[in-house]
Amino acid sequence: MGDSIVWLRAVTKDYGQGDVVVRALRGIDLTLDRGDFAAVAGPSGSGKSTLLNVMSGLDRPSSGEVSLDGRDLTRLSRSELSRLRLTRIGFVFQAYNLLPVLTAYENAEYVLMMQGVPASARRERVMGLLELVGLGGMEDRFPRELSGGQQQRVAIARAIASEPALILADEPTANVDSKTAAALLDLMQQLNEEKGVTFLFSTHDRKVMARAGRLIRLVDGRIAYDGEAGSLEALDADEG
Amino acid sequence: MALVKIAWRSIWRNRRRTLITLSSIVLCLAIAVFFIAAQHGVYDRLVDEAVRMQSGHLCVEHAEYIEAPAIDLVVRDVSALRKRIERIHGVESTKALVIGQGVAKSASGSVGVAVLGVEPEVEMRSSPLARKIVRGSYLAEEDGASAVVGAELVKKLKLDIGKKLVISSNDMGGDLVEEQLRVKGIFETGSTEVDAYVIQIPLGFARKLYGMGDGLSGEATRLGIVLADADERGEVMDGVAGLLAGEQAVRTWEEVMPDLAAFIEMDVVSNYIFQGIILFLILFTIFNTLLMSVLERKREFAVLLALGTSNGRIKIQILLESAFIALLGVAFGLLVGGLVTGYFQAEGIDLSSLMEEGMSISGFAMDMVMYPALTAELLAVLGAVVFAATLLMSLYPMGQIKRIPVADVLR
Ligand SMILES: Nc1ncnc2c1ncn2[C@@H]1O[C@H](COP(=O)(O)OP(=O)(O)OP(=O)(O)O)[C@@H](O)[C@H]1O
Ligand SMILES: [Mg+2]
Repeated sequence: MGDSIVWLRAVTKDYGQGDVVVRALRGIDLTLDRGDFAAVAGPSGSGKSTLLNVMSGLDRPSSGEVSLDGRDLTRLSRSELSRLRLTRIGFVFQAYNLLPVLTAYENAEYVLMMQGVPASARRERVMGLLELVGLGGMEDRFPRELSGGQQQRVAIARAIASEPALILADEPTANVDSKTAAALLDLMQQLNEEKGVTFLFSTHDRKVMARAGRLIRLVDGRIAYDGEAGSLEALDADEG
Repeated sequence: MALVKIAWRSIWRNRRRTLITLSSIVLCLAIAVFFIAAQHGVYDRLVDEAVRMQSGHLCVEHAEYIEAPAIDLVVRDVSALRKRIERIHGVESTKALVIGQGVAKSASGSVGVAVLGVEPEVEMRSSPLARKIVRGSYLAEEDGASAVVGAELVKKLKLDIGKKLVISSNDMGGDLVEEQLRVKGIFETGSTEVDAYVIQIPLGFARKLYGMGDGLSGEATRLGIVLADADERGEVMDGVAGLLAGEQAVRTWEEVMPDLAAFIEMDVVSNYIFQGIILFLILFTIFNTLLMSVLERKREFAVLLALGTSNGRIKIQILLESAFIALLGVAFGLLVGGLVTGYFQAEGIDLSSLMEEGMSISGFAMDMVMYPALTAELLAVLGAVVFAATLLMSLYPMGQIKRIPVADVLR
């Protein structure tokens, strides 16, 4: 599995016990390769968030195997998983990604700081990244002084700052208008193409799906489609 | 350090709540400082007045007197002993006292009284009673058969300045004795127990009345020791004990005035309850704030945890936030409490409009102007208790961190 970053085998995830078990994932086999620019789509409740959480070790699978960057996540302790996320995974969430008491600059450097990167090295990298995501000159603004799209850009800058193997983004464009969503996609795609950053993002938005190089469609906790995003139209009728 | 920055900014994020929390800490702490200092002030003064009026902070008496007070249990060679005691560092003055029981009679009736043989000059210098003469004048060294009596007793026996009264009692030999005295002054301490019960007569006359030795090898019921600073009592007591003959003993004012000591003890306990309630209010306010602020930031903490922040780091952040709030609250609380209390310590608080009757505690009249007694120790203890308790209480919100269901909160 030379160039694979994430590798899932027969992964299931059940919530609850006894009679009220929700089977969020029902046997997922999936491999993400370095450089992928992949979208996870599917109806609400189909297991998109659960899949991302299992990949990052935020949630443990009920059965099956998950490995990230060659490490078996099911064998890692809570703090080892935490450490792994710090160094190997970047996150962009739907909203409220940022620490409200930190400025754009401070938010973007947070992960680097946690990794113990010296201040001068952080400064250089983070200033460059903020410039790259189009926030040059806004370093000292607090999140409440930024628009939703600008906040997401800060989150993206933070996610790529430490050059992780993989960036997981759970509905990164759900809280912004379509123009902003398109701009965020442009940014992600640019980072993917120029810097080779691997992205996996979930979305409901067909325009966003269409931008992905690879589309993974979940239905009821199973992978119903995994392939080119281009042939999407034929496949989905229930997406909205 | 970044954590310090995050913690400091975080407490000001909800500025309103932090300010409300801080004001309640400041208010409660200031109240606690004021009332505890006021209480100390009342006690200090009460004890000071009582010991000066009576037998001193310490006194020497016959070893058996405390068990069974009798007029024939005396301290001998008082003059020699007091010279040596007065050389001990910290002793302000000594006072020889003859203490007897008797019956005071006038044409209008008879009343049981405590007869106190005193040295007028010493009393003039150290006893508040000598300053509370409302009519006539206090005793003088050369006085013989003169007495100062309380205003209540004057009423009961229909006495007045210059009028005669007769004291009858038993002397050291057990024989019945009677002496006629002239009223020289009338005092009013405000305490019924004192004003209706105490008669002061010159020491020499009292010795004659009870048949005690006078002059160089004079005898007295007690040799009271007044201290310049009540805190030095321990050392002085040791010094005095080394000077005593076998039949003599040194007593503290608590042993000599158990009623007053018991009252203060009781009052202290009831005040502990009051202080406990105030402290509880402060701590409850802080606890509530700490917990609320953690619970409402679950999502924020979930993001940090997802990014790979350790639980420990977030716990330290919460601890720092708690410490900041406690530090600010304690600092301003002590400042405000200290300033307000210090002001009243200098100016005094006149309670006479609140209590026209006056107030007496265990027989000792309270001064109607109260002076709180603020000490650095009080401020330090209160501050340390609130601060330490806050850090302890932050353990609970800190424990909530590992319960945050990160994946669900972020979904
Ligand atoms: N903690 C939980 N306890 C019980 N059931 C859960 C829990 N988390 C998720 N589920 C269920 O698991 C299923 C998958 O949820 P998931 O959040 O992964 O869906 P999703 O595809 O991300 O949906 P959406 O598009 O609405 O975000 C849903 O039926 C959901 O109700
Ligand atoms: Mg979801």
